[in-house]
Amino acid sequence: MAYPDQSFYLSILSRSPATVVKDFVEHLLPTLEPVEVLHNSTGLVMLPMQDTAKGATFYVGEVLVASARVRLAGAEGYAACLGRDLTQALALALLDAACTAGCCRAEIAAFVQAQAAALEAEDLVLRQQIEATRVELETF
Amino acid sequence: MAYVAARGGEAAIQEAEALFRRLNGTLDAGLVQQIERQLPYLVDRVMSEGSLYAPELAALAIAQTGGDLYEAILLLRAYRSTQPRVAYAAPVDPATMQTLRRISAAFKDIPGGQILGPTLDYSHRLLRTDLLDGDAQGEVASEQPTTPESPAILNSPIPPVTEWLRLNGLLAALPPQPPADPALLPDVTREAVRFPAPRAQRLQSLARADTGGVLALGYASMRGYGLIHPTVNEVRLGYADVLLEHPISGVRFSAGRVRVSMAEVVSSHGDTLELGYAATLGWNEVKVIAGAMLDLEMDKPNPHPAHDEEFVLYHTEPVESSGFCIHYKLPHYVTFSSNLDALRRAREMAAEESE
Repeated sequence: MAYPDQSFYLSILSRSPATVVKDFVEHLLPTLEPVEVLHNSTGLVMLPMQDTAKGATFYVGEVLVASARVRLAGAEGYAACLGRDLTQALALALLDAACTAGCCRAEIAAFVQAQAAALEAEDLVLRQQIEATRVELETF
Repeated sequence: MAYVAARGGEAAIQEAEALFRRLNGTLDAGLVQQIERQLPYLVDRVMSEGSLYAPELAALAIAQTGGDLYEAILLLRAYRSTQPRVAYAAPVDPATMQTLRRISAAFKDIPGGQILGPTLDYSHRLLRTDLLDGDAQGEVASEQPTTPESPAILNSPIPPVTEWLRLNGLLAALPPQPPADPALLPDVTREAVRFPAPRAQRLQSLARADTGGVLALGYASMRGYGLIHPTVNEVRLGYADVLLEHPISGVRFSAGRVRVSMAEVVSSHGDTLELGYAATLGWNEVKVIAGAMLDLEMDKPNPHPAHDEEFVLYHTEPVESSGFCIHYKLPHYVTFSSNLDALRRAREMAAEESE
């Protein structure tokens, strides 16, 4: 099974339930070791937004993220997720490094696809619920 | 200069905190999780004014302060000050965020349509006392829409109403601008605001402003102290991706989604339309509508003093304004005693003159 691209799998996995990702990496860990953690901490991301009235870009606020950078099998991996769960960030970075190094290819690809499907199903329900609130307005 | 010393202060402070905890119930992880899950609008308000998107910590701040919002916002801002800035996300484009609610009071037929989304706006405002009396079951959130045959909404961008106004020649096109470097934007957390403020600082200040303060000044404008009578062009609530650049590969990815709200208001001015805009973290319609009205008002050549840019931005800062307010609780015995001395002297002099 081919790897999904990096943007796709990181975006999917950062939204996936933290416990599911951590359990999966825990299961893979014996295959991935030895692992070197280069960085694992929380920090702030500035979030800019576009002003639709006059075209300015401004900071709408800051977002707390946990991020990690790791090395395994000669490859470096990085990931960030919302919140302060350092273990979740570490697990994501390990998966990123594993993908770059070509480790556990089939297992990771299957896991990402399963998570993507779960999120897509969740989003579909949400979109249906949103659509049900659409109104047509008329003036008399 | 004189100082006031308190005897037995440390023990009294510890007892005061213990009494606060006793009167406000148990503080534990379960309470925090419940607040985060079940009071999202309250959590949003604390994140918006704390200017930090961290739902778990905002819920903790609410729990820890017994729901004293200004204290909760202060806690969140204090936590934020301990964290390093690690990255700049790509700018949120309202057209591409996952929109859950988008309505326009100015135009009924807009591209993407009118979507009510999650709201109680059109529901009866009746207290469910039957829940308290045990006459009804609690409400369990259903995963399915009540109209099951609804097709899934197309996962396509919903453009802002302003874009439609521009396409129809009702608004002038925006002058072409080079893409902004997210790391180089004016930032009120790093530089003091100088007036007239750059638009980026104005909108950032409104985004982190006190909801009540923005509403009070915005409402003063709406009631007639202002120079405009705008209409809501668009209110939008949605999820925006936090798009980061991978430091090794340079690939852009989403680190997750945050709740964001924005509003545009429109007003006619001679033969043109003019716009006001505000946005904030979390879902808070009152704040963004009032903020957008103030944005428009602050552009007027001679606004009411309460709508002057400096007045609005300084007086709606929640931590500074609440902090200044509560500092009056601190001992002022020496300064007040000096006032009393002056009062007594004035009375004595008045009495001497009248004799």
